[in-house]
Amino acid sequence: MLKIDNLHVRAGDKQILNGLNLQVNAGEVHAIMGPNGSGKSTLAQVLAGRDGYEVTQGTATYRGHDLLALPPEERAREGVFLAFQYPVEIPGVNNVYLLKAGLNAVRKHRGEPEVDAFEFLVLVREKMKLMQMDESFLNRGVNEGFSGGEKKRNEILQMAVLEPALALLDETDSGLDIDALRIVANGVNSLRRADRAIVMVTHYQRLLDYIEPDHVHVLSGGRILKSGDKSLALELEKRGYDWVKQEAAAA
Amino acid sequence: MNAIVANSASAALERYRALFEARYSASDALTAMRRSALERFISAGFPTQRNEDWKYTNLRRLESRNFTAGNAAPIAADEALWIPGAGTRIVFVNGHAMPGLASAVAHPPGVTILTLAAWIENDPAAVATFLAQHAGTAATAFEDLNTAFSQDGVVIDIADGVALDQPIYVVHQWAAGSSLQMSHPRIIVRVGRNSRCSIIEHYVGSPEAETFTNVATSLEIAAGAHLTHYRIQQESLRGFHVGNVRAHLGRDSHYANHNMALGASIGRVDIKASLSEPGAHVSLSGLFAPDGTQHLDTHTLVDHIAPHTTSEEEYRGVADGRGRGVFNGKVIVRKDAQKIDAQQSNRNLLLSATAEIDTKPELEIYANDVKCSHGATTGQLDSTALFYLRSRGLSEGDARALLIRAFAESILTSIGHEPVHKYLEQHLHERYAQIGAVT
Repeated sequence: MLKIDNLHVRAGDKQILNGLNLQVNAGEVHAIMGPNGSGKSTLAQVLAGRDGYEVTQGTATYRGHDLLALPPEERAREGVFLAFQYPVEIPGVNNVYLLKAGLNAVRKHRGEPEVDAFEFLVLVREKMKLMQMDESFLNRGVNEGFSGGEKKRNEILQMAVLEPALALLDETDSGLDIDALRIVANGVNSLRRADRAIVMVTHYQRLLDYIEPDHVHVLSGGRILKSGDKSLALELEKRGYDWVKQEAAAA
Repeated sequence: MNAIVANSASAALERYRALFEARYSASDALTAMRRSALERFISAGFPTQRNEDWKYTNLRRLESRNFTAGNAAPIAADEALWIPGAGTRIVFVNGHAMPGLASAVAHPPGVTILTLAAWIENDPAAVATFLAQHAGTAATAFEDLNTAFSQDGVVIDIADGVALDQPIYVVHQWAAGSSLQMSHPRIIVRVGRNSRCSIIEHYVGSPEAETFTNVATSLEIAAGAHLTHYRIQQESLRGFHVGNVRAHLGRDSHYANHNMALGASIGRVDIKASLSEPGAHVSLSGLFAPDGTQHLDTHTLVDHIAPHTTSEEEYRGVADGRGRGVFNGKVIVRKDAQKIDAQQSNRNLLLSATAEIDTKPELEIYANDVKCSHGATTGQLDSTALFYLRSRGLSEGDARALLIRAFAESILTSIGHEPVHKYLEQHLHERYAQIGAVT
């Protein structure tokens, strides 16, 4: 589904990604872990199309498309979804309006008819139940005055409505208490499907107790230094990141 | 060079004198009043940018035009231009009242609506007395010009203890092809004690016409009365619009002004509220939205004369293209006017590199027990919010339009009258759908 090959990315004069390789297949859940400043969030942002980054080398191919050539909205319509680390507050734009506009943009792109108001409400209510959000959220401004946990739940609600093929979760666990973490993880788990891939970027192993990854990668210095299964995450939790760096340096 | 400018300026002023002489020859008190206003206007001339109050607004184009007084022109009722269901409608075309276009509803009890033309005909001495109270040293150049030339307008008297459930909706419309005509309407509203009412001023232009509207609005709000005042300016994009609003607030009275500056090539509105009795409260809110080459200037003045008076003000500006917006919000707290609460905020959005907004809060505080706050910001669309919306599948144009609308429409939240709210929302929706799509 996603193949990243030798990706080099710069922001200003700072080289952030330095030859990153990653392959993600449908049905898989990947966790990308790494110390602060390793380039985890940059990777998620670059894949979603945030400007301000310069790709100096390498490619990212998504379902046969040159992903990096597409504007962000085209990526979204093709099924790429980024759950933001810091979801943006947009006063004056209704949450429900954004959900519906996003869903209809995706449907239109797929050649499907727009959802009518009734169908949409039924769909959203069902997804909100999953995220344990009450209906008052719908008519509030996007993320406006939401707590940290509410914002993250809102991200996963959007994901549930948009049904992406490739979901990128950027530090979705940060700022969550244990109850909110459970709700968010439960939401994500319910969205695991054979035709959907999930890439989680996280600093802590904690999230992985709730969302079990098939593959774990260690990102450091803009490169993936080591890959393994979920036992790698446990090892990182115990031993930190330095041994991976040393191992890579020695190799 | 200076001599040439001075000559053309005085030539322009002489044109106004010639127009005046051609129209008024009587020797009654009203004509004398008009003449002295004209002489004040001519000796002061059009305000120039050397005048601090006009620092950002250049009137040379207005000054150079050879306007003639607006002709009464019969037009068909134009429901499409008017706000549907807005209230008891009174229509002026090219500055002249058109009774045939007014809504058929009988005037509500306790309300007297008289056209200025009728008042002048019935009782010119009373009009002269009224204008004398409102002219004099405090009048601005454009108020003097209005006094000299005002032919028509409306005088609305609300008796004591009357609550109107429908606003009074005053439309000032230019008929198609009214180029180089001018109108100096006068709107007078006197709200009796403990009465409640709303008034809507709506300026609609003939799209291509180069017209000049110079309106003066006087509002007297008696003790305990509430007046809500909507001012919606949608003049021709080649036209000129100048408005002066003066509101005098009595004890425990409330005045809310919603000012929407949307049309005109050059638009300037001055809103002055005098809180002369304790308990008076004024709230000013508005939006100025210059696009293309529009220049829209808003000056407000809240004068806390009496202690225990309060004011709140929120203005937003959105400028695109080579549009230029000006906001000047002045608050005066007079000596001994203690226990004042005055708040002001102005937030502006620039949509292009060539758009400009100049904002200036001005506080003059001569009392010590006061709570005053003000804040002004000017910025561009939030790129993170834009990316967020696009990452959910919205096109860049749609995302921009959505953010611009959200910013502009926030000023509508305080508009309680549903037809006006809806009308403005629809207008902003269409206006910014286009801007969003241009990118």
